[in-house]
Amino acid sequence: MTQAPFVRLMDVAKRWNGQLGVEGISLDIPEGSFTALLGPSGCGKSTTLRLLAGLELPDEGKIMIDDKDVTTSAASDRNLSMVFQSYALFPHLSVEENVVFGLKVRRVPKQERKQKLHRALEITGLLGYENRKPGELSGGQRQRVALARAIVAGQRLCLMDEPLSNLDAKLRNSVRKDIKKLQRDLGITVVYVTHDQTEAMSMADTVVLMKDGRIQQVGAPEDLYNKPVNTFVAEFVGAPPMALIGSEAIDGFGKGKTLGVRAENIQIVPKGEGRLSCTVNESEFLGSETLIGLAHAGAAGLCVLRPGLAMMSEGEEIDIHFNNEHLHVFDAAGQRQVS
Amino acid sequence: MKRLSSFLDSFGAILLAIIWIAPLLFAFWAATHSTSDAVNLNLFSPWTLENFRVAWNGAPWLKYFLNTFVLVTIILIGQFFFTTLAGFAFAQLNFRGKEFVFILVLMQLFILPEVLIVENYVMISRLGLFDTILGVGMPYMASAFGIFLMRQAFKGVPIELHEAARIEGCGLLGILWRVYVPLAKPTYLAYALVSVSTHWNNFLWPLIVTNSPDTRPLTVGLSIFGAPENGVDISIISAATMMSIAPLLIGFLLFQRQFVQAFLRAGIK
Repeated sequence: MTQAPFVRLMDVAKRWNGQLGVEGISLDIPEGSFTALLGPSGCGKSTTLRLLAGLELPDEGKIMIDDKDVTTSAASDRNLSMVFQSYALFPHLSVEENVVFGLKVRRVPKQERKQKLHRALEITGLLGYENRKPGELSGGQRQRVALARAIVAGQRLCLMDEPLSNLDAKLRNSVRKDIKKLQRDLGITVVYVTHDQTEAMSMADTVVLMKDGRIQQVGAPEDLYNKPVNTFVAEFVGAPPMALIGSEAIDGFGKGKTLGVRAENIQIVPKGEGRLSCTVNESEFLGSETLIGLAHAGAAGLCVLRPGLAMMSEGEEIDIHFNNEHLHVFDAAGQRQVS
Repeated sequence: MKRLSSFLDSFGAILLAIIWIAPLLFAFWAATHSTSDAVNLNLFSPWTLENFRVAWNGAPWLKYFLNTFVLVTIILIGQFFFTTLAGFAFAQLNFRGKEFVFILVLMQLFILPEVLIVENYVMISRLGLFDTILGVGMPYMASAFGIFLMRQAFKGVPIELHEAARIEGCGLLGILWRVYVPLAKPTYLAYALVSVSTHWNNFLWPLIVTNSPDTRPLTVGLSIFGAPENGVDISIISAATMMSIAPLLIGFLLFQRQFVQAFLRAGIK
């Protein structure tokens, strides 16, 4: 693929007076892809999205969309749509008027408006709700109106700012699938902001993990899971997150390093045969398996998964084992060491 | 103790209501009875509409009504126009000296309009608007209260709606017209009610700036009609008064609920 990326951020920075915004953001997003901006709150993922949308202007760097330099263009000239966390539906307008709002502003002829409206409502399953006001809809329906508004104009780039965070857990799962399907069917490019790593991992083709205004790692979900570039990524991605062990606790790794290991790669072994002995400090029954939390002076976040219901009493001493090939080695600065 | 205080509460409320409504009731009584019956408060005296007929023929009321109607309409349109734009600028735009200008506007709230009567008079004559309805209405159009009210209403609009409209391709005025104005409807309604009732009853300024029956509003017409040199007949003056307050009174009775709600919703008490 020699084609230029659809969306391109080059060394973009945005600073608020004294406060950290984002710094040195460079990102290429191919057309038709689903990119998730992931990170804890305050990491700059929303700011990045707003820079892309044109709601904020960067202090440095360049933003290109579809080979056009849009760094200083107005939001309305960037040919994109956006779904807000609060949905931002106009409370005084009906579902229909909300969806065609942008078309009306852009003076699309009535006939065409009608067709597009019908299609958007059909896709989002909102036919029959045209005349309701947002106040008369449930949370999930409002969310779909926001989606319909985002796709009605047929913009090729759609930005979503935590669109699922106001839904309950059950609904979230189904809407997640709907959004993913929508993106595939329409072939649009989606940039999706979330703080929920399961959401990012399950939906995105590419995950961009951010922290303190900087990009930590860009890659496919499995890359972030299997090859975290630093300890932050290791601890942020995956449920349960990767356990980090000081290298002093295990023979043969020297000092000052950090070793990471995932719960599924740890086995409980008979006493005396393990590489580490630790104390059980919690047991959590998850249904198909039980998560056993372990405490060890030189490690953080150690846990092990046991199939089925297999609670262990608190304070019990056990030995654990893991193979070297499952270990992730990070240097003193927390960066991954190539092995 | 609790019962006593609740009794005092209702007693006070009823007393105040009676004191407030007594002149109105008396005017109604006087207007519908002959002068001697009205003054004697003879409860069994016959009712009559004669006073209304005499009063109606005594002055060009229709013209006065029309003038007042045009006056409050012009003022309201002017106020909506100016307070919307100014309120929006103060609420959502950033410009240099915004705080300072806003304080200037607020300071206008502390100045009684009557203090400025001479200055306004000079200004209106200079503009050549003396003895015109526009001249009566103009000083009230850029109302500080209205600007403040609109600013508050616009500030309450979630910023996401503004941003969503921006992304959908709206310009600044488009956003104002399509998002802010419709969302501030309750505030507009409340403000319209206050404005109309204030300017319907306004007397001093129209008295000074109007000079002919063609521009005179009801209040001024009524005062001239009731002036001592025309002879004082309490019944006929009452009838004229009832006529001139009737539209507002009927409007209030019809929209009482909306009136009160509008105030509650707009957050002014």
